[in-house]
Amino acid sequence: MIERYIQFVGEDEVDAIVKLAERLQDLSILHVNSTAAGGGVAEILNRLVPLMRELGLRVDWRVIRGDQEFFTVTKTFHNALQVGAVEVPRSFYEIYERWQEINANELDLDYDVVFIHDPQPAGLVKYRKRGLWIWRCHIDVSTPNPEVWGFLRRYVSQYDAAIFHIPEFARDDLEIPQLLIPPSIDPLSPKNVELPPTAVERVMRKFDINPERPILLQVSRFDRAKDPLGVVEAYRLARRRMPGLQLVYLGSPAHDDPEGEAVYRETVEAAGGDPDIHLLMLPPDSHYEVNAFQRAATVVMQKSIREGFGLTVSEALWKKRPVIGGKTGGIKIQVIHGVTGFLATSPRTAAHYAVYLLREKRLREEMGAAGREHVRRNFLITHQLRRYLMAIAYVAKRAMWSD
Amino acid sequence: MKLGAKSLDTKGKGVPFKFYTAYYVSTYSRRKAYTLRELLEGVKTADKNTLFHHVFHAVRAKHLLPPRYNNDFARWVGEEVGDEELAAALSDISGAEPAAIEDIRKEIVAILEPAADERRGRSEFVFVGMEPVVVETKYVAHTLAEFLDLVEVVPGESILYHFVTRRVLRSAGRNDFSTWLDKNFGLAEVADELSRIDPLAFNSEEALREAILTVLKKWLL
Repeated sequence: MIERYIQFVGEDEVDAIVKLAERLQDLSILHVNSTAAGGGVAEILNRLVPLMRELGLRVDWRVIRGDQEFFTVTKTFHNALQVGAVEVPRSFYEIYERWQEINANELDLDYDVVFIHDPQPAGLVKYRKRGLWIWRCHIDVSTPNPEVWGFLRRYVSQYDAAIFHIPEFARDDLEIPQLLIPPSIDPLSPKNVELPPTAVERVMRKFDINPERPILLQVSRFDRAKDPLGVVEAYRLARRRMPGLQLVYLGSPAHDDPEGEAVYRETVEAAGGDPDIHLLMLPPDSHYEVNAFQRAATVVMQKSIREGFGLTVSEALWKKRPVIGGKTGGIKIQVIHGVTGFLATSPRTAAHYAVYLLREKRLREEMGAAGREHVRRNFLITHQLRRYLMAIAYVAKRAMWSD
Repeated sequence: MKLGAKSLDTKGKGVPFKFYTAYYVSTYSRRKAYTLRELLEGVKTADKNTLFHHVFHAVRAKHLLPPRYNNDFARWVGEEVGDEELAAALSDISGAEPAAIEDIRKEIVAILEPAADERRGRSEFVFVGMEPVVVETKYVAHTLAEFLDLVEVVPGESILYHFVTRRVLRSAGRNDFSTWLDKNFGLAEVADELSRIDPLAFNSEEALREAILTVLKKWLL
């Protein structure tokens, strides 16, 4: 399977991955997270773990269990860590600790290297008997609720290292080494594989979008952090200069997220019945359709006000689409201003760059090519795999220099 | 003295050149700068790997810089603080031999010191450290002919490792290619001309490789 990536990253990169893995053959490695399917962490582990095994590494993946009460607690923690202002009842900390103990009793944690993903199982470190423990944080904890972070920090401080997506998410109040590993996209996944032009056109027609007119696309949840109202405003401003422009905002239904429904309603209201604004709700597993929309788009927008990493940016760049992104989080390392797209700080600047790109086909092509190359060099799954192996080598202090 | 393509099968003193490649583990250094003065303080106190990362990663094609800036400090000063004069001066620093990382630190400090005031960036500068993880490649050159052929095909990261990383971070004074050509074959003139290449004049490993190949071909073919 790893050989299938040679077409994207070259033989030498794959050779380096094999060599790094050889250095770690004697180590047993465990990944622990909170869900086997659904969500970005499970998605990446579903692809990374088989690749690591194929390299001859002894890798296991375990999922913690919990009842509805526990997952209400961890969801509250998640929001408190990412958003900050959330009320957390005292009993939640006890519930969290109780389930850490239950899982520690049920799971075999006797490994040389243990990766614990995200806050849900972070407390397992209290029950460590041996091995190197690494906390892999997939969320933005740069401005958390201080009480929840203070609680979690007591556990995180016991790890041998932590891994964050970008330096801005790392913490000054952690003494342990903090490594930086961005997430990745898989060029072989249904969301990113090449699609025939007819398939792209068919999907556009299915959703009543005219593929012959320019399309401005944003793929993200209806969440204030993604600024859907700002996207509509940017579209309106751009449309004054570019008649015929269509806006597609592609989200997923949010049955468990009352705020998401409210934001969706506000966005519908802001759209004001404009027939060229398409606010679409697709099931979360609509990878083929997302792929088609990203390929049909003339310009892609990710106008977030706050963002974890925003892998939809890399997905679009991989398809040679320039991206107008909000200047926040991981978007800043994917959108190189003026090279792979533009960073916008308001609907006005987003509209300005959209019009510029919509008018300049050659610029779109240049930026599209630069974007694909940027992702090819930095944000493919093989890079993340190599960086995980390097992280293990680093924490295990294995042969950093050649002499 | 020019050797010519017919004389390249020599093994010199018989020491082969083993190509290694390096990848870099990025780490958070727990230091940020919000003003030019804090940037200066950061440059003064950062460990050598952190400084190396911010200056030399621009030579790597993976870098995240707009091409008009040659290092992260220049980008931050230009884009975030808005001082293009100072950014241009910072972009112009030399990474040529025999500079080790402490020489480069002195050069940056000399540029920043007169300008370091309380002007703030629109966002902070985050100092990022790194540790090289070195991996052996399958490429080994025993002769000059093999060496010339392999310089064209080894991974770009390998070129950077041998030409820049080891010299600058380990204060070797000279790049590995020049050292090998001089010690194993007595090719002092080729070695010297290679040593005059400033890696910071390039913004990808491929451009640096091209410059190295041009010198090698000039003397060896």
